[in-house]
Amino acid sequence: MQVTKFAIPEVIFGNGSITYLASCAQRLGAKRVLLVSDKGLEKSGWVKIIINLLNAANLDCVYFNGLTANPRACQIQQGAQLYRDHKADVIIGLGGGSPIDASKGIAIIVSNGGEIHDYEGANRISRPLPPMIFIPTTAGSGSDVSQYAIITDKKRKVKMAIISRSLVPNISIIDPDLLVTKPRELILASAVDALAHAIESYVSRLASPFTESQALTAIRLIAGNIKPAANSKDLEALKNLSIASTAAGMSFSNAGLGVGHSLAHSLGGRYDVTHGLTLPILLPSVVRFNKPCAERKMETIARTINESCPAPAKQKKHDLSDILQSMFEELEIPMRLREIVPNNDQMEEICRLAVKDACSVTNPREADCDDLMKICGESW
Amino acid sequence: MANKTALHDLIGIEHHKLNFFQELQQNIKELKGINRESEDQRCEIAAILDGITDVMMVLSEDLKIISVNRIFEQLFPGINPIGKKCYTLFRDSKHPCPECPAFKSLSTNSVCKDSAIFRIDGKNQQFDMVASPLKTPGTEEDRILIFKRDVTMEKEYQAKFYQAEKMATIGVLAAGVAHEINNPMAAVAGFAEGIQRRLARLDKDIPAELAEDLYDYTNTILKECLRCQDIVKTLLSFSRPVASEFIPVDMNQVAEDTLRLLDHQFRRYQQVKLEVKLTSPMQLILGNEAQLKQVILNLLTNAVDAIEHNGRIDIETFIENEHVGVRVSDSGCGIPEDNRDMLFEPFFTTKQVGKGIGIGLSTCFNIVREHNGEIIVDSEVGKGSNFTVLFPLQRD
Repeated sequence: MQVTKFAIPEVIFGNGSITYLASCAQRLGAKRVLLVSDKGLEKSGWVKIIINLLNAANLDCVYFNGLTANPRACQIQQGAQLYRDHKADVIIGLGGGSPIDASKGIAIIVSNGGEIHDYEGANRISRPLPPMIFIPTTAGSGSDVSQYAIITDKKRKVKMAIISRSLVPNISIIDPDLLVTKPRELILASAVDALAHAIESYVSRLASPFTESQALTAIRLIAGNIKPAANSKDLEALKNLSIASTAAGMSFSNAGLGVGHSLAHSLGGRYDVTHGLTLPILLPSVVRFNKPCAERKMETIARTINESCPAPAKQKKHDLSDILQSMFEELEIPMRLREIVPNNDQMEEICRLAVKDACSVTNPREADCDDLMKICGESW
Repeated sequence: MANKTALHDLIGIEHHKLNFFQELQQNIKELKGINRESEDQRCEIAAILDGITDVMMVLSEDLKIISVNRIFEQLFPGINPIGKKCYTLFRDSKHPCPECPAFKSLSTNSVCKDSAIFRIDGKNQQFDMVASPLKTPGTEEDRILIFKRDVTMEKEYQAKFYQAEKMATIGVLAAGVAHEINNPMAAVAGFAEGIQRRLARLDKDIPAELAEDLYDYTNTILKECLRCQDIVKTLLSFSRPVASEFIPVDMNQVAEDTLRLLDHQFRRYQQVKLEVKLTSPMQLILGNEAQLKQVILNLLTNAVDAIEHNGRIDIETFIENEHVGVRVSDSGCGIPEDNRDMLFEPFFTTKQVGKGIGIGLSTCFNIVREHNGEIIVDSEVGKGSNFTVLFPLQRD
């Protein structure tokens, strides 16, 4: 067994845990906070609540919302400029994967300078980052506990994966109350993203007992709660999805992912589609592709899902890809790639870029461009 | 991306979440180094400032003392000057001195020089002052840097030099005049005596009335010749070398001799009423007669100038509290309060150009101090002035 490593931030979890935000920020030396979030969260009122919490503790707050669904290099520069202009000292990221990854990018630029693509790949950050506190508002990205930041490079039309221990935030405050306001589609997309994190990291070449247990916990919780959470916004189910997302985040952050995410990054860079949409489509094919190299682990996953989400006897399936396929279909998630991307003209280019993605490194089965083309073909 | 990411990179065993500790340590180390450097610089600058032998002060715009150097502490031992006003310490005044070079320096933004006499610890000390504006970038308020150099000694030597030069000139003149006058006087006196001898022999050949007249005339000639010789002798005694030994001196004699020298001047101004009151018996003091005569001469000259040929001058000698005193009083114009501190300053004069160069009183001051005496000035504008000089009695 190879030597592995397990790095996670301080995690504050629970309903109402958001109230500890100001004291956490103060302990990190905050006087003037840069808050990164987006318009959706402004509308839902959470941005206002956060600003009020900070103001009540006499903390100045500079708010940055110039973000799109997939954060871009130029937006990172704008955020960094705002941080410098207002002499901020702590970064708070509030939102799904985008604001949190953008916060990480801003932190990199303000302390290391240069352009964000200078840091693409693993371990390229050389100087300490400003203190970071992340508050996830979706149960899915796991970015709030991970050492990954995914930033879109508009020029090259790729999503860059930046991996560094420095990107693990100081504190992650996970308050399930924040998930209540999300629409069904977002809850589903996030949960599928988290499930993909759990499955890919469980079979990853870097999986260790520390990550495997987190991955299985996540799979169990997602399988058991995704339906009530999406269909009835059951509070308990939403809380369980939060736990699952965090567990999956801890797992993939340390074990890495696989070609499913490589392809999702590549497609996302090209067509600006989110993980949540591409992953359920790709995952059954990816699982089939990887099966020869992780048969026993696949069985464990299948068993875990079956136990948590007992299907009627006649629908009983034992193959993981079949289980996933039927699970997603039942949730009425689009299952063909052609439904979300305009054409397949550029599939080869997309797959060529995906091979180079850092996530491909930990895929259990070595995959070249042709292999990925086949996966995409199956999903088309 | 430069290199392909490998599994090893993703594990990143040797990569840690960077924290601020090392950077902080590095910063602290650098700051300590910088701090040490600036401390060294500070010490060096302090050493330079302490090496300056002039009094140095940094003043605020309203002349509050902000910092001083070591010499200042020597001048005002045991006083914490920080926050005090400059004029309170130097002048014991509640208002800034009108001629203060600090204001001029600030308003003209240039280096300004001036000199002044301050009475510090009971002694008049003269200072040359240089004020430079200090414009510190980043601060609103301007400051003034002032250097004060104690030039009392230099000024005294300068005054002595002037006086010595003057006296030497008078000495040469007096010697010449004495020689030139004594000879004809001796001749005049000799012939007058000759007439008297002949008169004795001719006693019976001329009428008694004529003989009496001739006796009378020749006696007057002889008396006046004697007076001339006395004046010449007095003149000579004025111009003796300054550095002569102290001998017992009778101040009454000094006063009389000096008055004799000025006799002609007093006779010229009939309106001047001179009152002389010399105490008798007078005790002796140890001193230099020529120098003491200069003191009385100076005081009398000043008194004559003060009354402008119309008024009263009193000169009296007295013995009081183990001191012999000489007081010269006049009913003249008096000395304005503003000028009183400057009285003994060399080259300070209120007289018209050509009437004096202003070293008289400063010379008096020096002479009296050398005799362990003191000069007390009591004056009222419009009513007159009293200059009292006190000398310690000679102890047996």
